[in-house]
Amino acid sequence: MSAGLNFPVKGFIETSFLDWKDHLSSVFFTGGCNFRCPFCHNSDLVLNHDRLLDIPEEQILGNLRKFRKWIDRVVVTGGEPTLQKGLPVFAERLKREGYKVKLDTNGSHPEVIKDLVSAGLIDCIAMDIKGPITGYDRWCGTTVDRDKIEESIDFIIGGRIDHEFRMTVVPFLHKEADVYEAASRVGGAKRFTVQDFVPRNTLNPAFLSVKSFSPDRMSKIRQNVEGIMQDAKVRRTLHQ
Amino acid sequence: MTETTDLNLFVRTSEETISEWNREKIVDAMMRETLIDHDTAAAISKDVETLIRKSGIKVVTAPLIREMVNARLIERGLEQARRMHTRLGMPIYDVDTLILHPNKENANVPHGPEATNLTLAERIKKEFALLSVFSQDVSDAHMNGDIHLHDLGFIDRPYCSGQSLEYIKRFGLDLPHSLSMAKPAKHPEVLLAHLVKFAAALQSHFAGAIGWDAVNIFFAPYLEGMSDNDVKQLAQMLIFEFSQQAVARGGQAIFTDINLYWEIPKHFVDVPAIGPGGKFTGKTYGQYEKEAQRFVWKLFEVFKEGDGAGRPFFFPKPLVHITEKFFKTDGYADFLDLICDVASDKGNTYFVFDRGETAKISECCRLSFKLDEQDLLDAKEPWRMRYCALQNVSLNLPRIAYMAEQDDTKLFNLLTERFMLAVKAHKEKRAFIERLLSAGEDGPLALLTMNRDGTSYLRMNKASHLIGMVGLNEMVQVHTGEQLHDSKRALKFGLKVLAHMKLLADRMKRQEGMRLVLEQTPAESTSYRFARLDLRYHSPASGRVVKGDVASGEVYYTNSTHLNVMAPMNPIERVTNEGLFHPLIEAGSISHIWIGEAQPSKGAIADFVLKTFRHTTSDQIAFSPEFTTCNKCHRTSRGLRDDCAYCGSTEVDGITRITGYFTKVSSWNKGKLGELKDRYRNMEYFTQDEEKKAAAAG
Repeated sequence: MSAGLNFPVKGFIETSFLDWKDHLSSVFFTGGCNFRCPFCHNSDLVLNHDRLLDIPEEQILGNLRKFRKWIDRVVVTGGEPTLQKGLPVFAERLKREGYKVKLDTNGSHPEVIKDLVSAGLIDCIAMDIKGPITGYDRWCGTTVDRDKIEESIDFIIGGRIDHEFRMTVVPFLHKEADVYEAASRVGGAKRFTVQDFVPRNTLNPAFLSVKSFSPDRMSKIRQNVEGIMQDAKVRRTLHQ
Repeated sequence: MTETTDLNLFVRTSEETISEWNREKIVDAMMRETLIDHDTAAAISKDVETLIRKSGIKVVTAPLIREMVNARLIERGLEQARRMHTRLGMPIYDVDTLILHPNKENANVPHGPEATNLTLAERIKKEFALLSVFSQDVSDAHMNGDIHLHDLGFIDRPYCSGQSLEYIKRFGLDLPHSLSMAKPAKHPEVLLAHLVKFAAALQSHFAGAIGWDAVNIFFAPYLEGMSDNDVKQLAQMLIFEFSQQAVARGGQAIFTDINLYWEIPKHFVDVPAIGPGGKFTGKTYGQYEKEAQRFVWKLFEVFKEGDGAGRPFFFPKPLVHITEKFFKTDGYADFLDLICDVASDKGNTYFVFDRGETAKISECCRLSFKLDEQDLLDAKEPWRMRYCALQNVSLNLPRIAYMAEQDDTKLFNLLTERFMLAVKAHKEKRAFIERLLSAGEDGPLALLTMNRDGTSYLRMNKASHLIGMVGLNEMVQVHTGEQLHDSKRALKFGLKVLAHMKLLADRMKRQEGMRLVLEQTPAESTSYRFARLDLRYHSPASGRVVKGDVASGEVYYTNSTHLNVMAPMNPIERVTNEGLFHPLIEAGSISHIWIGEAQPSKGAIADFVLKTFRHTTSDQIAFSPEFTTCNKCHRTSRGLRDDCAYCGSTEVDGITRITGYFTKVSSWNKGKLGELKDRYRNMEYFTQDEEKKAAAAG
């Protein structure tokens, strides 16, 4: 067993065009999650991660070094990476090698996020907003400590770190109004991205038959969200 | 002597007449067409007459008589005469099938009466070429799949060409035998009309792609004083004109490449510009940078919008040349952003990398070459910059590996043998084309012999002869047991094979005085054809290496020197390793990055393009998204889907890049469909723990 196995990486994308806006990045997936969102499209990482092989840390770093001229950014995603005890050590190794690090999280562990930020171990954070906070148990398929979620949101918006909030819109689970309520909650954020639901590999197989909203409807939703975010920006400027 | 006959028999001739039986006509035909003596001809004609008499048949067709004569020629061992006496044509069943069903050999051919005409003509010309233009060993090698002679149905035309807009700007549209002569254009719209008409005229004189050099630069002198809106309108007209020309030859769109620049490349900076009326404007192209940039910007805005249904335009293909100067030209970052946005959203953009100081033009279907000294002199009078490739011959590389039985010496010997055969094929085609050209403006290729500037339009001294390759990956797999992406050793061996081919090309170039050039064959149907033929002749070895699904017949070989399309591979490794081959292949190579339904950010693509320019030897890359277009609501959504994302209708067509261009998936041949299923679209990797998986299952 290699050193640093407190941070088991289960999968990776060596070169991603998608995971860090406007940059090439490498993506690492950790196994295990404390949520059970029925629409999750990485269900293997949530439910069956012990059946996926760990990728030795040395192999990961060795691979990264091979592409050093091309890629200087790493995205850590899950599962839920903040559950991993070894996350700070792993992030520190990445930072020591000169990489910029982005964390994808569900926001359930604000204390981990705060520690990482104050130690200067991450450069960007993307937090999933599953829906309006009041309905979190429903969105996430489990009991969620909503205060923690609120704490994470406030910390991220208030902090000095580059960030983004993302919400996957799932017809049948979400109403359109839910998206706007969620957008209003993170109104002060730099970015709120609305993502399409893709009925593939879902954690709850029943969601395989849920059809995503039409592209027209999605673009209308995006437009409205854009309006909400703009208003919040104006209000924030007025306050200052 | 019973020379005449009272045989009460009628013959349907090929002139749509019914004639009375006349045995002398058989003799005449044999004497005219073959070299046999009169006595033998007479004896054969009598044999045939006897046979027909005995059969009691009342009406025979001329083709039937001919075949009966041929049978007698064979009986007498007169094989040479039989060949010369051959009749070309098609069985009625095949014609019926052809008229009723689409042809899938080339996805750029639609199905309709024009397309059927084209295919029928191609069949006859193909047979003619194999019997009459090429020697027997070349033809046989084509028939059995050792090599592939591309576009045999277009035997009487050169293969592809690179054109200069300057020619029509300077000389107007003055084509041999045309009904009217147009003086040089005074307005941009007229220049555009000339361009499109000339392209159509060229399409009927070339087999393949028509490329246009530096289109935005040569348009620039016409754009001064035009509003941005009018320039956009012109850009829109240009793109729609080329994408909707599906009414020309065989109902095919004109396979058009437009080469575009953000900067004015060095070889054009000091060149006197031609403007309205074909007159020199007194300025140089270097002084038209802003206008050229305005036009190319608008062109990409139109590409970004797509057609009326939001689909990507299939043609013209925009090739953007990235040079060192690109990065020193104001506004390059914004322009790079725009073309990357188009690459991500619609996929159109081809990024062509012209590193260092060599100037390159892409003359047609992914064929680009470096300009030599004479070419750079020509660049001062850019209307002279007319290039062509006469023919393309591809080698079946895996076939060589099956036959070499893991013996290096054998492998390289066979490779040399096949290469020489390809050279022979080129000499034969060249001789044939020269014969057609020698008739000048009264001959079949009048357009190509027109002389407006002291040389004939087609510059034979500049003509290239392409030698392509299919399935290097499978060749290496058969020979070494590993595919190109499996190990450094395999990759090195692949490079060794290509280096050998390059060496042969250079040596034969000197020896034969012909421009022989290696090309990455697009091989849209050839990779399928070779795979099928090898399954027939080289099983079971071939069954282990052909890609795709043998059971369903969706089989293919990996194109040219590409790496296995299904190997889960980092795109960086793909462009880096595929790029190692590009310096050996003069005629523009490409790496494809299949992005599927994902829509990467333009910034990430720009990042990748920049680094590909800086850190690899890749000549060209393109990103290929996939789309679903609805035939009911006429809208287009991302990804290959079974139903329309907008209206749910199942009357949909998939659209993505087949080889060097976008097209509807429904028109693809089986080999390409197999490849499409396999294409690796940059997904994440996970490794299942087999033990634990088994335990869980148990």
